[in-house]
Amino acid sequence: MLDYDIVVVGAGPAGSAAALKAASEGKKVLVIERGPEPGSKNVSGAMIRKDYVTSVFGEDMPFERNVETIKLSLYNGNKPVNIEFHPEGLVTTGRLKFDKWLSSVSEKAGAMVIPKTTALKLNWENGIAKSLTTDRGEVSAKSFVLAEGVNSLVSMESGIKGDWTPENSVQAVKMVYSIKKGDLNTIFGFPDDNTGMSWRMIMTDPLVAGFMYTYKDSLAVGIGSPIKELVDRKIRPEKLLDDFLEMTGIAEKVKGYSLREYSAKIIPEGGFPDINVAKGNVYLCGDALGLVDPLTFDGITPAIASGIIAGEAAVYNYDKEIYRYNLMKNPEISKIAKERKLETDFMTGNKAGEYINMVSSMLEGWASGDLMGIRNTMVSNYRNLIPDLMTFVMRMR
Amino acid sequence: MRTEEKLYTLRYKKDDKSHLAIKDVNTCLECTAKYGEPQPCVSICPANVFSWQNNRIVIGYENCVECGASRIACPYENIDWNYPRFGKGIALRYA
Ligand SMILES: Cc1cc2nc3c(=O)[nH]c(=O)nc-3n(C[C@H](O)[C@H](O)[C@H](O)COP(=O)(O)OP(=O)(O)OC[C@H]3O[C@@H](n4cnc5c(N)ncnc54)[C@H](O)[C@@H]3O)c2cc1C
Ligand code: SF4
Repeated sequence: MLDYDIVVVGAGPAGSAAALKAASEGKKVLVIERGPEPGSKNVSGAMIRKDYVTSVFGEDMPFERNVETIKLSLYNGNKPVNIEFHPEGLVTTGRLKFDKWLSSVSEKAGAMVIPKTTALKLNWENGIAKSLTTDRGEVSAKSFVLAEGVNSLVSMESGIKGDWTPENSVQAVKMVYSIKKGDLNTIFGFPDDNTGMSWRMIMTDPLVAGFMYTYKDSLAVGIGSPIKELVDRKIRPEKLLDDFLEMTGIAEKVKGYSLREYSAKIIPEGGFPDINVAKGNVYLCGDALGLVDPLTFDGITPAIASGIIAGEAAVYNYDKEIYRYNLMKNPEISKIAKERKLETDFMTGNKAGEYINMVSSMLEGWASGDLMGIRNTMVSNYRNLIPDLMTFVMRMR
Repeated sequence: MRTEEKLYTLRYKKDDKSHLAIKDVNTCLECTAKYGEPQPCVSICPANVFSWQNNRIVIGYENCVECGASRIACPYENIDWNYPRFGKGIALRYA
């Protein structure tokens, strides 16, 4: 049987970060990836923080365009309220190129990556995992990192965590359209091929968080919507995406351009800190812990942050309480943990609708010169909402 | 655009063994009586993998985009949901 110090399941951002960390500490590391190559099974927007990724994986990160502008649209019926930001350090990227690069960095540090191999189950003895069974054979190790993403079958099979429920998961569908660089620049008024934008939309009834990102020579669009609401109302996700494209006017923009790729993936909305993070010598990280914000779709940063911490825990065989403490101490991770409540309210209650009504009635009052009216509405109806709204707007940046 | 046309954009290698299965066909009858058509698995799936034919769920696993939603949407945990073997299934390029 093959024998390693540490076996990592999954070559996504969490797994490659864990492998990089463990290999840099001199350990013999094996990464098992089920896709034909890293990234080939993965779906994101994606907008990511270049500085953060670079601080861990080094220079030469492949990316599509710089995000010079983020437009946030809150839809109340058909008419949106728009807010614009000019962020710094955000770029768009596609997962195949991105994940391949992350994985190659971990390989350079000494990790061995085996694709086309699916991890099936861990084999335990007295609460300690001894080996991992894959569809190509068995491998033993001193510790294991499960960075298997949102569909964390090995973690569930091991009884470390349960599955997501329709109440705490979101279905996301995405489409990428081929649009020549020059055409894209003309459509959006970009001065050059490196300039890009992100557009984020929130709609209610049903609750939809949407995105549009500009790549080099294509346009990525997608939506996420709570599974419970979709199932209860028998709404088909791909139909919802089509409607979304019409409503936002994107359908008009992509008319005549061909669809390059269609994809889908669920997004967890619950999880850490209300979840087991480890068992014996097995450590979970990234989406397997639910470390993603389903509203802003920010999951790659916390995946990397938790991957490093998991890699370290695997090297030193930390107790699970120490591992949890280290996760909690990390600002990228604690941010998600802290905002869980707001997020749950937003996804399951009618907070989204309330925010949007608030913003639009404020703007209507403004337009009609009824400033006293605005004051009264705000004080009487929305006092409790304002701090939440501000938090919400800030985190969409 | 029809869902089938969207699915044509995907690179795909077929595993000859289905990675999805219904655990108990009777449960689907109970589910249909309670939730009606389309059943939760049929309506949440973005790739038309599930269809209701002659009182049972038929699985077109070769359409599957491996998103994970059907496993969660099924109120009876009646879907045996696995990954395709040996790197088969979808191979995304731009997601
Ligand atoms: C539509 C959409 C848009 C998003 N947009 C953004 C965005 O703009 N910015 C952002 O930061 N985040 C975004 N996210 C979230 C982000 O994609 C995730 O949070 C992130 O990918 C989590 O990283 P991970 O490494 O934990 O898991 P993953 O990226 O899912 O990686 C898990 C890896 O493990 C492999 N694997 C799983 N099971 C096994 C097994 N049994 N055996 C072998 N290999 C296995 C998988 O093939 C995969 O490579 C988005 C998500 C979606 C769905
Ligand atoms: S949702 Fe589950 S029980 Fe209902 S029809 Fe589909 S597989 Fe069967």
